[in-house]
Amino acid sequence: MNEKNALTRRDFLKKGAMASAVGVAVNAGMIQTASAKAGTYATLIDLTKCDGCNNEPMPKCVEACRRENEKKFPNPVEPIKDLWPQKTHDDWSKKKDVINALTPYNWTMVQKVDLEGEEIFVPRRCMHCDNPPCARLCPFGALNKFSNGAVVINHDLCMGGAKCKAVCPWHIPQRQSGVGPYLKIQPIPAGGGVMYKCDFCHDRIKRGQIPACVEACEKRLGAKRPLHFGIRETMLKMAHERAKEINGFIYGEKENGGTATLYVSKVPFEEINAKLKEMKSNLLMGKVLNPLHDVNGWAKGFIFGPLLSALAAIGLAIYHRREEKREEEK
Amino acid sequence: MKERIIEEKKVILRHHPIEIVEHWVLALSGFLLIFSGFGELPMYKRFMVTKIPGLGWAGDFFINLKIHYLAGIVFFSFMIFHALYHGWLGHKGLLPKKGDIKASIQTILAMFGFGEEPKAHKYLPEQRLAYAYLGGVGLILLITGVVKVIKNLPGVFLPPGLITLTTLTHTFATIFFLLGVIAHLAALIFKVNRPLAKSIFTRKVDLNYAKERHTLWYEELMKEKEKVEFIKEKMESEEEYQKREGSETEDPASN
Repeated sequence: MNEKNALTRRDFLKKGAMASAVGVAVNAGMIQTASAKAGTYATLIDLTKCDGCNNEPMPKCVEACRRENEKKFPNPVEPIKDLWPQKTHDDWSKKKDVINALTPYNWTMVQKVDLEGEEIFVPRRCMHCDNPPCARLCPFGALNKFSNGAVVINHDLCMGGAKCKAVCPWHIPQRQSGVGPYLKIQPIPAGGGVMYKCDFCHDRIKRGQIPACVEACEKRLGAKRPLHFGIRETMLKMAHERAKEINGFIYGEKENGGTATLYVSKVPFEEINAKLKEMKSNLLMGKVLNPLHDVNGWAKGFIFGPLLSALAAIGLAIYHRREEKREEEK
Repeated sequence: MKERIIEEKKVILRHHPIEIVEHWVLALSGFLLIFSGFGELPMYKRFMVTKIPGLGWAGDFFINLKIHYLAGIVFFSFMIFHALYHGWLGHKGLLPKKGDIKASIQTILAMFGFGEEPKAHKYLPEQRLAYAYLGGVGLILLITGVVKVIKNLPGVFLPPGLITLTTLTHTFATIFFLLGVIAHLAALIFKVNRPLAKSIFTRKVDLNYAKERHTLWYEELMKEKEKVEFIKEKMESEEEYQKREGSETEDPASN
């Protein structure tokens, strides 16, 4: 694999500092344009190199993620009430040790897939989509896509309606009830907690650091690491080169319109997905079309509709004015 | 078509067909926008709206989004039509006037039997205020809605702070819009308002009702009617005079 294109720590710090400077200037002017996409970061996960840290008590990426985000984990107020009129609520606070599922206390996991005797380990977390339905459709604006590529939940604004989970093609965000701003408006039955998911180590990126999972993976395996982090274009180029080298496949380049998490594998992702389905996993790797695709196609209607009606209004007004004048003359 | 008194039918022609179309298209698209907009809040499944026969689809955010976009295009288009058409023709009847707040309070108090209702023009003062309120909130929804449409497009990056502000404004403005629509419909609770509601279907309002309540408008229309009749009469008498004059001058020639 061509490692030259991978972002070295030094490069990253240099670019990070530049990006931060640009970021400050941009934020000060409240201007962000599509050009910000050029500075979007991505993670590349090479499935041919991940061994799931099988000689460790816990995968290093999972461990580092938990340590990094511990301070952001929810502390629910007991007793947690049901989300009226439903007779349920989501509570992971008694299952904080779960590491084989995405939970409010576990934002990264590693799936083990057995494919005809070959074991494949798939680190999973938020894909950080280029056009994320979760952030686009949150009714409270509690989810944002940042110019560095991170899709971040604002825990102080999230009402926990779990719409983001429903509209996410992978259903990544997870809810913890008994915490968050919805408690302040009780007994009004709205909201249900706060949603949690990987935030791409947004704060670390802002500080010029790489995500904790990538750093932990690098510490363990050095140059042989499966996790890479850098500018998306570079990561994509690396993914293509690696795929060519192993005659393999890429996931995340086009899925859901493109994501900031790229996978490369020598096994087709359809096979991995079929196996995950067979395992009854709720975290699949199927082909995903961006669910906003249809409505985005209709967006031109907001230009042409009003334009046509403006022409019709002026035409009719002129006609009626003439008619009125004619009537008056009579 | 000009608003006018039709004496033989004891009605006043109150609305142009264009106004009827505008009202009902905006009402229907507004209703769809409210329903699909609330469907974008994750509440229809939770509150079991999806269990109502025929509404199983209501829990699907993307179906609601499609309805919201289509109804949004219609609503936006008709708002533009409304502003340009009536603006061009200088229609100002629904724009709030000085003293409308005081007059509205008096009108509403009179509905409850307190005091006397001030004499109104074509529109009641609270109708003008309701129009400004719904129009204003509608405009906020329209502007924030268009920003939301733009931010959904692939490759568009708007500042996260702007998106959060726009989204929250759109969501909370919807609640104020709904309250406005409820207040608009609640006017029908009072019997006194019902003859007025008829006109948004039939274009016509009862002459005696208008004389009683929309006195200023009635008087204006009467004056206009009298003016027209006076001119008509004058023209007719002039025509008759000319005819007579003509026949008198023609007589000797015929001899």
